[in-house]
Amino acid sequence: MSNALELPTILDLIAAPGLLEAFISRRGRALAVDAGAVQRLGAQCLQVLLAARAAWVADGMALALENPSDEFSATLELLGASPRDLTHEAQHDGPDLGANKELAA
Amino acid sequence: MEDPMAAIRETFFQECEEQLAELETGLIAMENGTAEPETVNAVFRAVHSMKGGAGIFALDQLVRFAHVFETALDKVRSATLAATPTVLGVFLRAADVLADLVRAARENTTVDDSRTKALVAEFDQINDAGEAPEAVTREAPPPVSGGLFAPVAAPEPAWEIKFTPRPALYAKANETALLLRELRRLGELDVVLDTTQLPELSELDPEGAYLTWHIRLIGDCDEAAIRHVFEFVEDDSVLVITPPEPEPAASEEPAGFLPGTVITGDNGFKFEFFPPPMADEEEAEAAAPAAVAAPAVAPREAAAPPVPKHPAVEAMAAKAEAAGAVSATIRVDLDRVDRMIDLVGELVINEAMLSQRVLEAGIARASGVAMALEELEHLTREIQDSVMAIRAQPVRSVFQRMPRLVREVAAQTHKQVRLVTEGEGTEVDKTVIERIADPLTHMIRNAIDHGLESTEKRIAAGKPAEGTVKLIALHRSGRIVLEVSDDGGGINRARVREKAIENGVIAADAQLSDDEIDNLIFLPGFSTAAKVSDISGRGVGMDVVRQSVAALGGRISISSRPGLGSTFTLSLPLTLAVLDGMVVSAHGHTLIIPLSAIVETLKPRAQDVFPLDHEINVLALRGGYVPMVDVAASLGYSETFIEPEQSVALLVEGEGGVRAVLLVDAIHGQRQVVIKSLEVNYRAVPGIGAATVMGDGRVALILDVDAVVRHARSDAGGRNAEQLSLSDAS
Repeated sequence: MSNALELPTILDLIAAPGLLEAFISRRGRALAVDAGAVQRLGAQCLQVLLAARAAWVADGMALALENPSDEFSATLELLGASPRDLTHEAQHDGPDLGANKELAA
Repeated sequence: MEDPMAAIRETFFQECEEQLAELETGLIAMENGTAEPETVNAVFRAVHSMKGGAGIFALDQLVRFAHVFETALDKVRSATLAATPTVLGVFLRAADVLADLVRAARENTTVDDSRTKALVAEFDQINDAGEAPEAVTREAPPPVSGGLFAPVAAPEPAWEIKFTPRPALYAKANETALLLRELRRLGELDVVLDTTQLPELSELDPEGAYLTWHIRLIGDCDEAAIRHVFEFVEDDSVLVITPPEPEPAASEEPAGFLPGTVITGDNGFKFEFFPPPMADEEEAEAAAPAAVAAPAVAPREAAAPPVPKHPAVEAMAAKAEAAGAVSATIRVDLDRVDRMIDLVGELVINEAMLSQRVLEAGIARASGVAMALEELEHLTREIQDSVMAIRAQPVRSVFQRMPRLVREVAAQTHKQVRLVTEGEGTEVDKTVIERIADPLTHMIRNAIDHGLESTEKRIAAGKPAEGTVKLIALHRSGRIVLEVSDDGGGINRARVREKAIENGVIAADAQLSDDEIDNLIFLPGFSTAAKVSDISGRGVGMDVVRQSVAALGGRISISSRPGLGSTFTLSLPLTLAVLDGMVVSAHGHTLIIPLSAIVETLKPRAQDVFPLDHEINVLALRGGYVPMVDVAASLGYSETFIEPEQSVALLVEGEGGVRAVLLVDAIHGQRQVVIKSLEVNYRAVPGIGAATVMGDGRVALILDVDAVVRHARSDAGGRNAEQLSLSDAS
């Protein structure tokens, strides 16, 4: 029984406050984030996603990233992050945020 | 809800205006040969910045065109394309199109695609034409492909870039992802994200900026190219660019910036970094950010360790930031300045009132109070001047629009025209600047269309084929004077006279001086052009110019020499916040009459006053007749009319040069008054333009001369005052 959050198409600076609110309101439960619709990802929304991941890690809750669009994945990589920086498995603590950087091939 | 993007967008367009002005100035300097080596870079930057901003707002048409333009400019910059007159001609036209595209984007309209396409085709041509000869003249040896001299593949240099955006960067709609995308064009990127500054989710400001990027760029590029990517975000970020090391760094070398590292802070502030005495390794380690880097990347990290936050460097970066805060200019909301001007106006009035009280109290001039008051007076004046200076702007912004106008009108009229401007730095109040653009535009159109002869006629007259239009601004006795002159044929007085008679403006046998004939062109609906041309016709004539100038409290005059050209002289007040006025009294009321409207003052003689119907008198004045207006009666202060002989008369000139004589009880002298809007503070009053507060604290009304004169004209049965005075001239 998990909580779901569908990310909007445009994740620019205007979307950041709403995204933060969405995460805060869903805190304390496992969450599946659907990034299938994302066409644009900006650094400020990435900050929210990274901070959310840290919060879910701290809470020991699972955070999943589902169905990332090509644009989402490409921008994530460009910005030096990977899907692993945004997800967490509840069973065991993942690597510390910031230490699980995947290198671009 | 107000769209925050709208405000950012507006800022972008404001910046575009500045960039466009810089672009045009630079291109013109290049055309005139007065360009400095830096000019082409400034020109390039202007276009590049506009392109960057336009990209953020998805203004595709603008981006595409700016890109083509920028590409050609880049070729000039790198000396692969010579800035020939042809090339500069294309650039200038491209600048015009770019300006149109910006305007269209701002107003959400579109620009005719054919214009941009035509210019893109021109760009293609100059690109082709420019490059061919260049290949021959290039000094460097031609590249040899695959031969003996094929360069040995050297290890590609790796640049280290540390980039920490500040919230302002995002607030201005810049985006790190876009910057990295741009950077990727320069070579292979390795991006390491540093999230150590990221706060807890509940404490995160979604509009904050917490991330730092350590970027390793492998590619054959120079620092300028990298800096170029960050060009318009440098002010809003901390950017550290470390050049590739000639030798791989020894592992024991203390991690830190290499000598020669350039740190850029706010506002382009830069300094070179020289390493402090051997940094303590532990300290460096402790200060090093817990980078996202995993051990897997160790080899690369060893070759060029991530840039640590060395305390000395941090201090310097902080210093750089602090230095950036001391900026040469700031952008201030006009409302704030207006509010300050308003308050200073109050201060001036208050100071005048205080002086009056001191005077009334009979305090000796040598007393401490009087002396302190005098000092206060000086200070107040100084504050007033300083505040006015904040609003003052050079007329450059208006002058810069004129070269384009000249190009366009010259092309339409098939004339060769050179525009010469002088005194662009002359300063005048912003409100005045905004309102002189239209009259100037019209005068310049007129100078080219009507003033300059056709090329054939010029050559026949022994003049250079290229006509010259001069635009000059200067300060003269507390006013700004703008002159538009041409070296054309001068006013065709015979034709003007003929036309004036034809239109019934003057009698067929009227004797007019050359000056009077010249000034006829300011009368409403007067045009000597046989047919209304597209250029200066448009149903408006010089009377419109005169009207708008008069509305600003200005005057316009003309002087013309047959065969040598004409000069239009426009004199305007430096500000619309204060006004030079004549203090008069009418039936016990104090009124201010704007000095700019007053032609002369006189004492009417009984034998010169002639009654007309509707209780209107006219005054015989140097062979003409001018209607007389009793100010007190026209404003409803008095039921009875003043005896002309008992009054003082002021000959005033209103819109369109219409004259009238105003009768008042007495004149009390001239003074500068602070203008207070009646509409804002009370309501519009017919015949009154504005109000001011006098030294005794009483409100004095400022007469709307045009309205009073118009009123007099309608009372006089619609007879045109000027017509009266001219047609009866004998």
